[in-house]
Amino acid sequence: MNTLSMAYKNLRKNLSFYALYLFSVSLVITVFFAFTSFSMNQVMLEVISTNGRVESMCSIISVFLMIFVVFYMGYSNRFFLKRRTKELGIYTLLGYRKTTILSLLTFENIFICFGAFLVGLVLGAIAHKGIVIGITALLKLSVDSAKIQFFHISAIRKTAGFILLVVFVLCMSNGRFLFKTSLMELIRFEKKAEKNMKFHRLPAFLGFIMILSGYGLALDIFRGGKSIWFLVGFYPIGMLTAMLIVIGTVFFISSFLPYVMKKSKSHKAAFYTKTKIITTPNFIYRIRSNARTLIMLTLLSAATLSISAIMALTVYYPIAAVSRIAPSEMEFRIEKEAQIEAAKKIIGRYAAEDVTFTRTDIYKVTSSASSLPMEYSVGTAKGDSDNEKILREAGFECISRTSYMTLLREQGKEEVSDSIPKLGSGECILVKYKPNSDNSLEVDSIYPLAIGDKEVPFTVKAVTLDNPFAFANSIGTLIVSDDIYKQLEATGTPVTSLMSINGKAIEDNEELYEEMRDMLAESPYLQGQSHRINELFSLNSSTFLLIGFLVVLFFIATGSILYFNNMSAVSDTKSDYQILIKMGYTNGCIKKIIRRQVLDFFAIPFAMGTLDCIFATVVFKAGLMQNLLGSTLVQYVPVVLAIALTAFIYLIYYFLTIRTCCKIVCKK
Amino acid sequence: MTALLEAKEVTKIYKKAGHPSLNKVSFRIEAGEFIGIMGASGSGKTTLLNVLSTIDTPTNGDIWINGVNLKRLNDTSAADFRKDHLGFIFQEYFLLDSLTIHENISVPLTLQKLPPQKIESMVKNLAERFGIASQLNKYPGELSGGQRQRASAARAIVKQPSILFADEPTGALDSSSATELLNALWEANQDLHTTILMVTHDAYAASFTNRILIFKDGTIIKELQRHDRNRKSFYESIAAEVAKLDTER
Repeated sequence: MNTLSMAYKNLRKNLSFYALYLFSVSLVITVFFAFTSFSMNQVMLEVISTNGRVESMCSIISVFLMIFVVFYMGYSNRFFLKRRTKELGIYTLLGYRKTTILSLLTFENIFICFGAFLVGLVLGAIAHKGIVIGITALLKLSVDSAKIQFFHISAIRKTAGFILLVVFVLCMSNGRFLFKTSLMELIRFEKKAEKNMKFHRLPAFLGFIMILSGYGLALDIFRGGKSIWFLVGFYPIGMLTAMLIVIGTVFFISSFLPYVMKKSKSHKAAFYTKTKIITTPNFIYRIRSNARTLIMLTLLSAATLSISAIMALTVYYPIAAVSRIAPSEMEFRIEKEAQIEAAKKIIGRYAAEDVTFTRTDIYKVTSSASSLPMEYSVGTAKGDSDNEKILREAGFECISRTSYMTLLREQGKEEVSDSIPKLGSGECILVKYKPNSDNSLEVDSIYPLAIGDKEVPFTVKAVTLDNPFAFANSIGTLIVSDDIYKQLEATGTPVTSLMSINGKAIEDNEELYEEMRDMLAESPYLQGQSHRINELFSLNSSTFLLIGFLVVLFFIATGSILYFNNMSAVSDTKSDYQILIKMGYTNGCIKKIIRRQVLDFFAIPFAMGTLDCIFATVVFKAGLMQNLLGSTLVQYVPVVLAIALTAFIYLIYYFLTIRTCCKIVCKK
Repeated sequence: MTALLEAKEVTKIYKKAGHPSLNKVSFRIEAGEFIGIMGASGSGKTTLLNVLSTIDTPTNGDIWINGVNLKRLNDTSAADFRKDHLGFIFQEYFLLDSLTIHENISVPLTLQKLPPQKIESMVKNLAERFGIASQLNKYPGELSGGQRQRASAARAIVKQPSILFADEPTGALDSSSATELLNALWEANQDLHTTILMVTHDAYAASFTNRILIFKDGTIIKELQRHDRNRKSFYESIAAEVAKLDTER
């Protein structure tokens, strides 16, 4: 029998053993092929990419994907190789040369990769088609799907080339293992005798302290301007925090957890129970022999969770913040009176009724106070996007309490409108662009405002985040009493007029928006809520999708590694469970022990990964995102959803693992 | 007198084998006996041990231990029965590798939900009797074969089972370790009145028992009683019987 047919027979004979491996590799190739097809889909790229942004992202993510696939397949290959060392030892005893054994293993890998390649091509092509249909529908794009090939030849070529590279890497790795391991080691590799291990307090507590310090540093960001993150710099402190967490995780898992478990054995009443007496020593044993895998899984889970949570937050937050960025369905600066009638005419063609047109005159007032809120001077042009082309002069933009309440009601914020306090002649409400970084409020601050030729002191009665205008049109909005507003009107204060248009009938209508833009000669002062949301969707969806490929791959890898690891641990100790059954342990009790053991291995990466993710998200949000929505917990809903989704995927893998493990032990 | 164990017309047929591995086997064991089961490979010794210990079920016949008919036990009650009444020693030790010797011996006692202090004192006492007191905090992998088997015996005896089943317990031991183990079992039988049923093919090991049932083709063909004879004399008669069987084969 030659090595080729031996490899084929080996795989056929052990199909159940390799089934999940084949399945997971197929899924990995599916993701890779779908991604490659998408990144080579010129029809789609032309529609969704601006300035080659998606193409560059594809190139970067493609590298990450390739590294990750090689890592995952290398890990799985080594895992299965270690489980077969005795068999390889027997081949060597029978006189097989190591080169022959290597070719046998290589043929097996070729068969597996080829099978996975075929499955991956079909599923990947279907997934690619599905993604294209999904994006086209989501972004309302007009794409001729007939032009999109089901099997993209270049993508097939790239995937095949990559798989050949993977086979080569696996061959090198197997060769290194085979030629490095002696015959004796091959035969004795599977079972190493358990030995007493000394537990050192120093690395154990170092791990604990480092993780606590990392989390402590992360929380420091809430101190605002006084925080070390802003004093020293975001990136150096970010690197330090990440380093503390990563090294801390290594010590925490390899030293602290076994140390705590060892100590827990001294609590006799808890330890001498039929479950704990088995699970506690087993946990210590497994965590010692699998610390590296567990550390890798924890870091992988932390990365997966953090990326998915941050990704969800990055997509959700700007959309949630649109209610502040552009609170009206449409709003523009009235440069010519004729624009009002023209706007009404255009809108009338799309919606006959239920649309409100509100004109508001905003009076620009300056102040000579030495300390003024940041909203007073913020807003000089810096960038290229529409709203950043606008030049703004420093000052407060005053409107009357009545106008403010009217606008809020038209924007659907009746409750807020009803709660606006009455204002005296020297009182005002300051509309904040974002909360102050030190969480201070300007309530009771006094600002002298230049009204006519005199300065009148105004006391801030309240501050609010409910701005009535788009930030492109007004940032330092100040609400004053109707009497004062009339005074401003009478004293010839510089004025700007805005038209706010609201109503359900004109929501989410890009055609209407385009027409309005044409009418206003592409004015940067035209702002629209639905348009802004659509714009954000189209900008973020490709990023979301591309990173989604990575996240899916992370999930497949993490889940599969956990599955293989637990399944292997239970198979290796099957005889131990048989002893327990002979001693009088019921099947129910054995299943409880298995569940507990598997749970520990799933819970550690998930719990630590979740904690890392929460702190990473908090730092990202506080340090790198504009705080437009204040400190409401609702904005963290996507993070909770990302964690819940991860928990759900973990649960599926957990039950699948439990099922297989119980089957291994309890089958008669 | 009520027997501790009674097997009546016990038959076991494996579908694949076709012929019975046990064929209408009947015998009784009184409390405090040390019984040996001997026979060539395939004679039905291990099958007998499996059906007596509820690991397997007979095709026909009845087995009573402590007045309980094993046929009436389902999976759960059989597990409870093993927990409360039976102890096991195997040729391969079957200690749990990830547990220390102390923890290994404690496992059956935790099943009986004894208080921790009592578990610790019982484990220490028995470890001293079996000469492994200094090894209690070590893992099985750190012990010699003889020490491991004594730990395995201590684990089986610690819960004071009604009957202890030993399957070729000296099979993997050198002669000195085997003697140490057999002495320990004999002392447990004499001092603690532990009833022991030992399957062995070794005449020397069998000489430590009080009575021997010799199996051939699934039936008992001979019963040897020690009576008041010393061990050496009993050994000689067993060796003669084994030699006779070998020539008949």
